[in-house]
Amino acid sequence: MALEPEMILIVGYVVIGGLLASLGAHLLPVGGAPAAMGTATGVATGTVQLMFGAVMTGLFTSSTVSSFSNNIWLVAISGAVGAAIMITVVMFMANIMYVFGCGIVPVSGRVAVDPITKEPQTPYKTPQTDGHGVPNVVFISGTMGGFVGGFGGGLMYFALLFYANFTYVTAAIAALSIFLANAILAAYNIRGTTEGLYDPKFKRLPKALVSSLAISVLAGIVVLLATIGLPQGGI
Amino acid sequence: MLVVELLFAWMLVIAFLAFIACTFEDLESDVGSQSNPNSQVQLAAQVGQVHRFFNKAISGEPLSNAMYCTVAGTTAWILLQKLEPIVPDAKWKAAVVAIPLGVAVAAMIHIIFSITAHCGRTAGQKRFEQPIYLDVLYGHLLPIATHGFMTTFCITSIAYIQSNLGTLAGDPRLNHPFALPLLAFIWGITVGAIGSSTGDIHYGTEREFQDRPFGEGKRVVYHGKITRYAECGVRTQKDIVGFCAKFGGPCTGLTFGLIILFENYRTLIGMELARFLPVLPADLPFVPDVHFATAAGNMSAVWGIVVGLFIIAALLVGNMVFVRWVRKKYGPFVGA
Repeated sequence: MALEPEMILIVGYVVIGGLLASLGAHLLPVGGAPAAMGTATGVATGTVQLMFGAVMTGLFTSSTVSSFSNNIWLVAISGAVGAAIMITVVMFMANIMYVFGCGIVPVSGRVAVDPITKEPQTPYKTPQTDGHGVPNVVFISGTMGGFVGGFGGGLMYFALLFYANFTYVTAAIAALSIFLANAILAAYNIRGTTEGLYDPKFKRLPKALVSSLAISVLAGIVVLLATIGLPQGGI
Repeated sequence: MLVVELLFAWMLVIAFLAFIACTFEDLESDVGSQSNPNSQVQLAAQVGQVHRFFNKAISGEPLSNAMYCTVAGTTAWILLQKLEPIVPDAKWKAAVVAIPLGVAVAAMIHIIFSITAHCGRTAGQKRFEQPIYLDVLYGHLLPIATHGFMTTFCITSIAYIQSNLGTLAGDPRLNHPFALPLLAFIWGITVGAIGSSTGDIHYGTEREFQDRPFGEGKRVVYHGKITRYAECGVRTQKDIVGFCAKFGGPCTGLTFGLIILFENYRTLIGMELARFLPVLPADLPFVPDVHFATAAGNMSAVWGIVVGLFIIAALLVGNMVFVRWVRKKYGPFVGA
């Protein structure tokens, strides 16, 4: 069978989506279990769960948009905005909970001075903790992470729907599965907690991108085989 | 004939159901002790603090909630397929029977997982002399199942409304392209992710360490040394859920409600602004087709994105103002 340009596009978009998923997961402020006790900065849940929740919300809007628009950028950016809305609302409400429920000031544990607002962090931090709440520097990094991750998810979803001719449900499940694999790889790098862009763990990103590239190319080839082997994208 | 007001009204119903769903999701994780704060319950016996907490962490909240919601959604969907042909003129009658039955099946699975998780986890702590209190086990199962029932019921109802939204508003072509079980799965994951990330803070930071100083992050040396005595007697999860229902639960519900409201309304407002509504294109297919597009459809997406970006910017600025206000109000750390 001759190599058609659409086949390259499928693999290309899946790989780009996978790499963006990995980048997005690194940017999220993940606090894990310590954040639930106010012992670490970030949102009190795991990397994969937070990323997955955000991308799910984005994908819901992506799918609505894809039923009346066939522009890949509009579908992908709709997903990106959806994921970013989810993550910003969660971070904002988490701050409300820390402030009014526990009387804690949001403060970063990684930087002494907020690089964006220039507010000092160390005097507000509880000793023997790694920061608490979602300060502005972390908030902005998290918003970027949600946007980038949602964009990757939307891109993969559209490629599977439009170029690989999957059905709506199959495209959603397949896009989420590839996304999940990449988010889990990123979680190995993050190991529990991260503050996103200004965290030293962010420097480990290149290694995660290499492994993400490998898994995404493999996933892209599997999608391609399904497209070639099964008429109408199969199921 | 499509009634746009009905479309917006159903969206509000969905947002309200989302509020209820996530409130009860958080309270379910408090009454059953799931997710991140449960690490302290798990740790307590290991640092010599024998307790009467219910120790159920089946998995991360998003995955366990996705499981209940997908089981409920799939069962309800199968029942709907069978029941709807019986009442073709009033299909809502089929939904009234199918959704609660589907959710009841999920509740049973929830109870089974709660028992095995609690017994398994506590039995594994035998070497730390943590007993399995049978009254704690039996007494918590019903509250866990009822809280879980509320969440799953609301999520399945949201999925049902969304997959039939167009039909309910007068034009079936506006139904969501995803089937009911997939929508239940999506919102199950999201409700769990939000319940885990927002609501747990009130339980983990405040209620689990209530005999420690208020207004500071809980130090590493406190970990595992949870508050074991209640206002009256020895504390169990039933004392915790009543406390968290006053702030943590509703706050979590508001988070999910706001997300659903923003997400759905920005799409609808985009469609309104681009004049995609109320008169849909005549050639819009009944089964959604990705290759179909109109200029109005593309403009709807653009307006939706613009409205979404505006919401994100408002939240970013709102957080900056809020954090600045809190720092001024609370001041630097003054404890030891």
